[in-house]
Amino acid sequence: MNEWDTYRLLDFVPFTREVYFRLLERVGESFWPLQFVGLIFAGASIWLALRGRARIALLLLAPWWVVVGVIFFLQRYATLNWAGEYIGWVFIAEGVALSVLALFGAAPAVNSTSPIWHKASNLSGIVIAVFGFIGLPATALLQGYSRFQAEVFGLHADPTAMVTLGVVLIAVRRAYRWIAAAIPLIWLLLSALTQSVLGIGSSLAIYSVIAAGLLGVAWRD
Amino acid sequence: MDDCIARRAFLRLIGTGAVSAWAFPGMLPSVARAQTRELQSKPIPSSGESLPMIGMGTWRTFNVGDDPKLLDARTRVVKAFFSRGGGLIDSSPMYGSAPETIGYALRELGAPKSLFSAEKVWSPAGGNAREQFASLAEQWGIKKFDLVQVHNLQDWREHLPLLREMRNEELIRYIGITTSHGRRHAEFEQVMASESLDFVQLTYNITHRDVESRLLPLARERGIAVIANRPYDGGSLIKGLKRREVVPEWAAQEFACRTWADFLLKFIVSHPALNCAIPATTQVAHMNENMQAGSGPMPDGRARQRMVGFVESL
Ligand SMILES: NC(=O)c1ccc[n+]([C@@H]2O[C@H](COP(=O)([O-])OP(=O)(O)OC[C@H]3O[C@@H](n4cnc5c(N)ncnc54)[C@H](OP(=O)(O)O)[C@@H]3O)[C@@H](O)[C@H]2O)c1
Repeated sequence: MNEWDTYRLLDFVPFTREVYFRLLERVGESFWPLQFVGLIFAGASIWLALRGRARIALLLLAPWWVVVGVIFFLQRYATLNWAGEYIGWVFIAEGVALSVLALFGAAPAVNSTSPIWHKASNLSGIVIAVFGFIGLPATALLQGYSRFQAEVFGLHADPTAMVTLGVVLIAVRRAYRWIAAAIPLIWLLLSALTQSVLGIGSSLAIYSVIAAGLLGVAWRD
Repeated sequence: MDDCIARRAFLRLIGTGAVSAWAFPGMLPSVARAQTRELQSKPIPSSGESLPMIGMGTWRTFNVGDDPKLLDARTRVVKAFFSRGGGLIDSSPMYGSAPETIGYALRELGAPKSLFSAEKVWSPAGGNAREQFASLAEQWGIKKFDLVQVHNLQDWREHLPLLREMRNEELIRYIGITTSHGRRHAEFEQVMASESLDFVQLTYNITHRDVESRLLPLARERGIAVIANRPYDGGSLIKGLKRREVVPEWAAQEFACRTWADFLLKFIVSHPALNCAIPATTQVAHMNENMQAGSGPMPDGRARQRMVGFVESL
């Protein structure tokens, strides 16, 4: 028997569904009401990206990658999964990359003269960003989860990656877009796989976001 | 016969199920017996010490981080385990916070005499066997481990000599190696044949029986105790059976098998080479069910064949 045939995705997820939900909840509980500050930053970033203010839009997102890297991954996820430590540092690196791109990137701005809805990448960016910003937490609340369990930009990894992916699609162009979108896309894939293994329904929504994101990144404006 | 002796004799009668069968004629005598019998043990070949046949695993189930609510919930599972005579708890540095969760439970409950602590050296965790031992002992809150195994054979050439040294220093009582999912059996066999080991841990359950042909006979020949991991095939086996099937009547009659936990675990521990099965669970009710399987009559060779035939026919 080939040894690799014996591996299943489940072998790489070292915790149960119950523990995963408690992790989300404990982060929400510990930092309440920081959720609102995260939401204000996310909303402002999307708004500015749509107005062609790409650099400031990216700068508003960057520090939250460091926050999520530290409080979500290094401080909590890493106690459950040794990979959490590496992922935490990758999140911090994305925060730095977004800042560098915003401050020194050659041309990250949208072409503010063309209406945004004419571009597929912009459209998929808007859908993804708005879903990560408001759709994800709203769905959790509507499904009866508590305010602490609702995943929110700036505290939890998935909405942070989604809002960023969306804003990058709207605001960043050419090769820069690939660079800025790679880490959010890779994290979303890891998260979707983890959630599928744990039998969590929202993995389907994440796969759709990934597909829309890839389409948007690959689109030649 | 004085009163006290008479009372003891009566209690023994209850223990054997005779009184319950008399008092509850509708109930199968063997079932009544199974409900009251104690958890059975088997001797460890290298020492003769007896080890309860049902232990517990901690992969995934005990990795709860520092969540107070879940730490208390897992402590209740450990409490149920010990209250039913449980001994062997198996963990690994690979299992996230599981060693710390066990440590938490042992601090809350106190470590009973029956505790048989089984840990592993896992190369990716970094450090040599001695360093990993020190950090695991701190996490469990104990000074010595009963058993330390080389996880998945990784770097066994490096780890085994050090473990042997630690056994000589009486920091560890037994040493062993592990594998699972049927991986690296050829090399496993080689190590079993050439190294002096007290224990091996491998995957053995009613749907994964490859070890019956070579590894289990070799374990008997070399006097090595065997721990069966993944007794429920990671959970899918028992959960599937519970959802879809009814425990066959003949199993209840022949060896007091009332639940699928009984069926699956009795199959494992009734193999003559097997010492212990280590199902993992997050739930007290499941723990109680699992521990119950280690008591009462066990299937004989003929019944075991019938069990295999039955499961294969599903
Ligand atoms: N290479 C190695 O060294 C190695 C490899 C694999 C495993 N192991 C060891 O072996 C242990 C056991 O293997 P495992 O954890 O992979 O799998 P397992 O014990 O076969 O299955 C565990 C699953 O079974 C479920 N379960 C337990 N009792 C049940 C019951 N009475 N009714 C219904 N469901 C029940 C549990 O869910 P609930 O929480 O819902 O009860 C859990 O999801 C591990 O925990 C680990 O300590 C070692």
